[in-house]
Amino acid sequence: MSAGPAFAAIVVISIVTYISRAGLILFLADRQLPTEAVRALRYVAPAVLSALTVNLLAGGQGMSGVTGSEVAAVGVGAVVAALTKNLIASLFAGMVTIWIIILVT
Amino acid sequence: MSANTPPPAAAPDGDPDGHPGRDTDLHGVAKRAIRDVMPLYLPTIPFALVLGVAITESAMPTAVGYSSNLMFAGASQLATVTLAGTATWLTLVITASVINLRHVMYSAAMSTHFRDQPTWFRWVGSFVLIDQMFALTVNRTDMAPSVWRRYYMGAGVFLLVAWIAGVTIGMAVGSAIPTEWRLDITPAVMFGGLVVMGISTRPAAAAAITGAAVCFACLGIPNNGGILLGALAGVTAGFLADRASTRRTRPQEPRRIS
Repeated sequence: MSAGPAFAAIVVISIVTYISRAGLILFLADRQLPTEAVRALRYVAPAVLSALTVNLLAGGQGMSGVTGSEVAAVGVGAVVAALTKNLIASLFAGMVTIWIIILVT
Repeated sequence: MSANTPPPAAAPDGDPDGHPGRDTDLHGVAKRAIRDVMPLYLPTIPFALVLGVAITESAMPTAVGYSSNLMFAGASQLATVTLAGTATWLTLVITASVINLRHVMYSAAMSTHFRDQPTWFRWVGSFVLIDQMFALTVNRTDMAPSVWRRYYMGAGVFLLVAWIAGVTIGMAVGSAIPTEWRLDITPAVMFGGLVVMGISTRPAAAAAITGAAVCFACLGIPNNGGILLGALAGVTAGFLADRASTRRTRPQEPRRIS
């Protein structure tokens, strides 16, 4: 792909991405949301972030992209996060888990 | 502080006759934001390095691939530079854009925070509303609007600068990192920990479990459609569980299963 069309694509994607992020912040700034909508929005964070975790595990390869060692790493990381409330400890525990599995198998 | 009180950020930084105590306080907020966002930033480093390598190998000119930092969206950037060799222009644009549709939900959930912010900040702050920013700031309701704004910007500017630095380093040396280290799974481990730490109620747990399960079932859908379906199902589950538990605590509204 030559420079002109490629850069045009990047500009268009950047604008769409920005609109995705800014759109409702700007639109809802001076409007009141119904209480039921506010109640639903409370669950955006757990729902999206857990779906994102699964999607990242798959790495774009569908269900077959989710391997046992990866699930173990995320699982150990999640348990450590729940126990310590420390994200660095969680990340470290998860990575050590997968390194041990790789070394052992 | 009530929502009607104007934010106390009028005194410019370094004003000798201003309020040194308050200025120092706000300065500390930016530092605290960077410290808090560090665990979320570290897992993005491998991703930035991978993207840097992909830019140098892309079918589009390297300088143009590098300009994808305008998006400030790792997954979309990676899709853009890797698809450039095979996809049509329109497919490329649609694919890379659809990946970011989850940000619409972030935007909706964050609108309550931004309502207390000045207009300029709504425009500027939106640009850095990436996954990590959302995860870091969405639950920080303990801060006054001016403090929250400083906190948000501290983390956002840091992430933007550090992200571009990581991509640049990846373009130079990224291909030297062995893939056996499996640094590619660090983002998944981080978000997994983040989900668990963010769950404090049963409806939130229902939202997280449903979101993960539905996303897994929908992994075959192209353009990361599974994230959106999982998110919608998770929000619905959390909402219904929340409403059910509210009903239970209100006996004047009995519910009969017919």
